[in-house]
Amino acid sequence: MLDLDYSWLADPAYQSWLVVGVINTLKLAAISSIAATLIGMLGALALTLRIAWLDALIELFVEVFRNTPPLLQMLFAYFTLSTLGLQVTDPDTGLSMPLLSAFACAAISLSLFGGALAIEAFRSGIETMPRAIIEAGQALGYSRWARFWRIEAPIATRISLPALTNILSNLFKTTSQASVITVPELMYYAGQIYNDNFRTMEVMILVLVIYVTLVSILTYLMARLERWMAFPGYGKAAS
Amino acid sequence: MTHPEALIEIKDIHKSFGKFNVLNGIDLTVRKGEAVCIIGPSGSGKSTILRCMNGLMPIDRGTIRVGQHQVHSLKTEKAMRPLRHQVAMVFQQYNLFPHKTALENVMMAPIQVLGHDRAEVEDRARKLLDKVRLGHKADSYPGQLSGGQQQRVAIARALAMQPDVILFDEVTAALDPETVKDVLFNIRELVEEGLTCVLVTHEMGFAREVSHHVCFTDHGKIVEDAPPAEFFANPRDPRTREFLGQVL
Ligand SMILES: Nc1ncnc2c1ncn2[C@@H]1O[C@H](COP(=O)(O)OP(=O)(O)O)[C@@H](O)[C@H]1O
Ligand SMILES: [Mg+2]
Repeated sequence: MLDLDYSWLADPAYQSWLVVGVINTLKLAAISSIAATLIGMLGALALTLRIAWLDALIELFVEVFRNTPPLLQMLFAYFTLSTLGLQVTDPDTGLSMPLLSAFACAAISLSLFGGALAIEAFRSGIETMPRAIIEAGQALGYSRWARFWRIEAPIATRISLPALTNILSNLFKTTSQASVITVPELMYYAGQIYNDNFRTMEVMILVLVIYVTLVSILTYLMARLERWMAFPGYGKAAS
Repeated sequence: MTHPEALIEIKDIHKSFGKFNVLNGIDLTVRKGEAVCIIGPSGSGKSTILRCMNGLMPIDRGTIRVGQHQVHSLKTEKAMRPLRHQVAMVFQQYNLFPHKTALENVMMAPIQVLGHDRAEVEDRARKLLDKVRLGHKADSYPGQLSGGQQQRVAIARALAMQPDVILFDEVTAALDPETVKDVLFNIRELVEEGLTCVLVTHEMGFAREVSHHVCFTDHGKIVEDAPPAEFFANPRDPRTREFLGQVL
């Protein structure tokens, strides 16, 4: 059964598909990870302001994105943002084309999905912080902003980092769903290749190995970051 | 009393959380250089009094003056800031910022909030850590210090702000008995040096020896306010008598 044939890998066309696919996967993962982390931080910051309507809005956002399949979110983003409404006319050809590419739609939907999860992670990081720490900052005369950036955010980030690692590695895997809306990332080219050479098993195994490698590198880097940012009493002990 | 100048003047303050009245008309005067102890049963509003004094908690009615600040009329955090520089506070626990070393904890606010010169602040901070006898722990993180050591760093941090008054809210309540006396030693030293201190405490011996007057709170009122000799030997209010009977 395991009569695997990888001779097709010598074909430069397949090679370049795989390389482009990996690059696009990395791009998509990087953009959405950074955006998701920023959304998480800003959302958690906004929640500390305790403004009723803003809280309700963020709550709704988190619930919607956390409780629906990310694939549905991506299709939704693609069909609403790219095919409906937002159209621009290409100045060269005079043809009407979507303002946002499939890649942009995937990046936006993944950022929102990851952002909703990250808000939760940072929020719980802020909430598990003893209230006295915040009051101590207040009593020392720190302004609201200074308190957030100098005290709450650094501590909450360290507390939330393990949860954030999970979110980002999940987000990395979820980038594969962008193939459904024709984003030419790794999964998309995998399909192209086995539709072309019918070596489905070989292609799947290769793609699996690539994902395992990339996600392992990500979790390794996050673990390094966790250790670097750790302080005694919170998270992994500083070595 | 030999302290004519009233540094803190609290008149008839009221505070409620919903229907629950935490403070029901508190009057309290603290003169410059005095140590005032507040004792009373749990939930009687002691912490709330301290929080109102430095504006951490707004009051519903009454007036609070600290130095030249009319605390009850300060509405924004920004308006509050000069007051916070004058009034430092040490809490029961978790005072320190866990992501900063002891030295950094002491240095942070003078540099970041007061804008003082870094080199000068470091010098000041090291001297203060020496004063609380923790100079050798300057580079330790709070998680590496005992509860008592953390409290002494918190005291050094309060002093680094060069305040006119320090509020202590049951700072030894969460500590092991052995470490309590080190913390009390540091506080006693400050009082002897003439720093104005308001202390919520359950350490009766300490209150008797160190304070200029002792207040007893019950259900949001100060029911007794007397010099310690009188307070402990001849309490007038039956509630004070009952409480002292239980704890002494
Ligand atoms: N932020 C708050 N919201 C609601 N109730 C509070 C709040 N702070 C304190 N209380 C209540 O007020 C009462 C007095 O609290 P506190 O001043 O902490 O008492 P003490 O320090 O004497 O134990 C307690 O019953 C407490 O539950
Ligand atoms: Mg209390």
